[in-house]
Amino acid sequence: MLHDVIGNKISLFSDGVQTVLRGQENRNRRVVLLKGNLVQNFRSEARGINARVNDHGTFGFASIAEYTPEAAEKVIRAATENAGALRRHSGRNVPLPPSKGTGTIPLNAAITDAPQKELIALCRTIDGYIETTYPDLTSRTVVYSEDSQDRIVCASDAFCGHLVTPRCYVYVMMSAETKDGVPVELFKAFGGFGSFYDHFQEPEKLYPGIDLLHKQLMDKKEGVYAEAGYRTVVLGGLMGGMLAHEAVGHTVEADLVRGGSVAGPNLHRRVGSELVNMVDFAHSYAGGAAPLPVFLDDEGTKAEDAVLISGGILTGYMNDRESAEEYGMTPAGNARGWTFSDEPIIRMRNTCILPGKNTVEELIASVDDGYYLINSGNGEADLTGEFMFGVTCGYEIKNGKLGRALLDTTVTGVAFEMLKTVDMVSDTVEWSSSGFCGKKQPMAVGMGGPHMRCKIMIGGR
Amino acid sequence: MMLKATAEMMDRILREETPGKYSYTVSESEKQELNIENGEFKLLRTVFGSGASARVFLGTKTGSASGNDITEEGLRKLVGEATAAAESAGEDPCHDIAPNQGKDVFIQGVTEPDMDRFIERIREFLDTAAKEYPKVRIMYAMGSFDRWNRITRNTNGTEFEFHGGRYSFSVEICASDGEKTTGLDYTGVITAKLDTPFMETGDLRRHLEDITNSIDAKPIEGKFEGTVILTPGSAANFIEMLVDNYISDGVIINGMSQWLDKVGEQVASEALTVSLNPYDERIVIGERATGSGFRTEDVTLIDKGVLKTHRLSLYGSNKTGRPVVKNTGFDLVVANGEKTLAELIASVDRGLILGGFSGGQPGANGEFSGVAKNSFLIEKGKITGAVTETMVNGNLGEAFRRIKGVSKEVLCDGGSVVPWIAVDGIVISGK
Repeated sequence: MLHDVIGNKISLFSDGVQTVLRGQENRNRRVVLLKGNLVQNFRSEARGINARVNDHGTFGFASIAEYTPEAAEKVIRAATENAGALRRHSGRNVPLPPSKGTGTIPLNAAITDAPQKELIALCRTIDGYIETTYPDLTSRTVVYSEDSQDRIVCASDAFCGHLVTPRCYVYVMMSAETKDGVPVELFKAFGGFGSFYDHFQEPEKLYPGIDLLHKQLMDKKEGVYAEAGYRTVVLGGLMGGMLAHEAVGHTVEADLVRGGSVAGPNLHRRVGSELVNMVDFAHSYAGGAAPLPVFLDDEGTKAEDAVLISGGILTGYMNDRESAEEYGMTPAGNARGWTFSDEPIIRMRNTCILPGKNTVEELIASVDDGYYLINSGNGEADLTGEFMFGVTCGYEIKNGKLGRALLDTTVTGVAFEMLKTVDMVSDTVEWSSSGFCGKKQPMAVGMGGPHMRCKIMIGGR
Repeated sequence: MMLKATAEMMDRILREETPGKYSYTVSESEKQELNIENGEFKLLRTVFGSGASARVFLGTKTGSASGNDITEEGLRKLVGEATAAAESAGEDPCHDIAPNQGKDVFIQGVTEPDMDRFIERIREFLDTAAKEYPKVRIMYAMGSFDRWNRITRNTNGTEFEFHGGRYSFSVEICASDGEKTTGLDYTGVITAKLDTPFMETGDLRRHLEDITNSIDAKPIEGKFEGTVILTPGSAANFIEMLVDNYISDGVIINGMSQWLDKVGEQVASEALTVSLNPYDERIVIGERATGSGFRTEDVTLIDKGVLKTHRLSLYGSNKTGRPVVKNTGFDLVVANGEKTLAELIASVDRGLILGGFSGGQPGANGEFSGVAKNSFLIEKGKITGAVTETMVNGNLGEAFRRIKGVSKEVLCDGGSVVPWIAVDGIVISGK
């Protein structure tokens, strides 16, 4: 854990500008077993200090890969000089955003480090279970992956604090072959916020999930291609979370709104059916902790929930301090950087479409001819809200009952049109937090959603 | 020089702490990055970096660690972590480092930047874009000068020094007219010279033209099997997927590759030749040494459709008994063809120019399915308009077996040299 070597450097901040000093350490641990072969076995740590200076809309940033008081002094000087130098080239002259309060956010958790031998032992235990229990697989991969951020933030006119975000996962990938010799694969992530000992002291607790993954893979072995076209589907909760993040979330990040996203002209307009509500949660959800809690961002803004869609109406964006002023909104703590050398940019935290009133069974039973899409391998969207998700796990629905499994396919649509077709929403939410969002820098994000019945374009042969 | 002293210190610590083989790298770097939002200079970012990594062998067990604390205390901790990781690993004689490759110093690109000229070139690009493409919005642009010094050594005697620097310039663009907005498009270049306006380098001008012509994109109706002309950017993306899915370490080691036993056989159209050529003069900063310590060599993966080699690392080679490929970068060079791009377009009865592919990573079976981005419909040999909400589906291996033509023109963006490639048999579907 970082000890504070930067807190007493606030006196070096220049007057008339806004300065944030941040010390940060990122740790990674990774073990990969491919068919029992240890192909990756490494640990990494990177720490340093950065400063960002806002000189009336022109920003200077500097970072050094050292965590010392002297490094803090150097980056404050360099960032201030950068802001001044760029201001001579830039025509920007934007009033500094007002302070929304000052104070100290207390440390939220601890990072506990496990030795590499325990990580390897865990992977070998899980790999051994899979090899012994499921000899019908053609390949298997077990990955332990851990990343953590430990940051201390000192802001000139905002909050200061010490925050940690540890998360760790085991990824299990299984492969099999169809009767024609065509490979099919599935994967599942286990774990979440916290350290090794929070999630993996009892590996056998993962076995039911691994067993389900194997069953789904055996179904997929016998799977069929989806029929391409515009179809009624039940999107599973993980797919709902992907939709919340990729298709809607990015379009309502204020920097992308400023760049021309479809959310610009649609503020306060209907973008979904009345059943659609969406929030970017800061640190708490439904009386408990959100998957990846954020209490303070890297501009020193105390984190609050950002309500994005209410009753199908687009009500707000995710902002940094400058964009919040521009759009007449309140900053909610979305400005974050991934490593000590990354400047804060607008990022999601725990973005979720809220649950409705139906059960999952009711949704499936309501579809005569369509698909149940359970999990996605990846997803992308752009400014228009046109999105694409790779679907790795799904089933046909025929007369309200699940049919054959699907081979890999892709779904697409335009978010603000597709959300208007949502006519049933389940009463439970599924979250995932193992992925990275890519937007200049990577970022750990949580995303969640309920099951939703809607219409969507599906690809197929 | 500080870096050499750091390397000596790392060497001493490794000799003291570990009895077996090892390899290590120490580095220092500097980045000067100009960020532009909506055409305005917004942020100037300076990053001073340092780093160290070590790979330690205890017999046939190996572990690695990396970090950026290059003090003696930091390096000792790093070596301790790598050693602990090795102690916990299982025996595997396939892990190894390359035999002695001698000593060498590689100097690439530009080491002293002309930042004033660089900023002038960026401003010139922004001014040209605003004047010639008024409907285009430069949502985000980034100009970066990166400089690095790196030393890598191993106990087999190899000692390489790397010194270099490069400029890079990239843009994220869209176009709008009233409330009508296109999707995002991206492009960029890498260069060591500032003698040409950025607008005339790489594929920048074409991207601005194409996005301007995409404002009135329309969905296509129905579904058909047609020809897709992959732009160089899309072609590079598809070839990277092809390499990952058919000839990379993972799929050869686990035996899932559909080209497992196809070396020496025709796997693609005779029109396709794919190489990784870091020494090609059009590649600005090509790889000079591999991760396991080999001097990098140019390698041809597919020659006139014949698979020449899998792309195996030293570990993958030892694990499978197949040849190692001394090339771990992706300095892609695809041979050009005989037809002009205009002739390729004229030869298409019905299909798409695929400017971008937004799709799931294909599974081991090579099946791909995704959305056509920044793409244009071709009907009876003519481009008839931009498309939206249009999907393309097919199979990677099959697509490259059904190449209809490769363009004479190639795109050089400093990191790759790729032509337009037309492939048949792709399912194109709309609403």
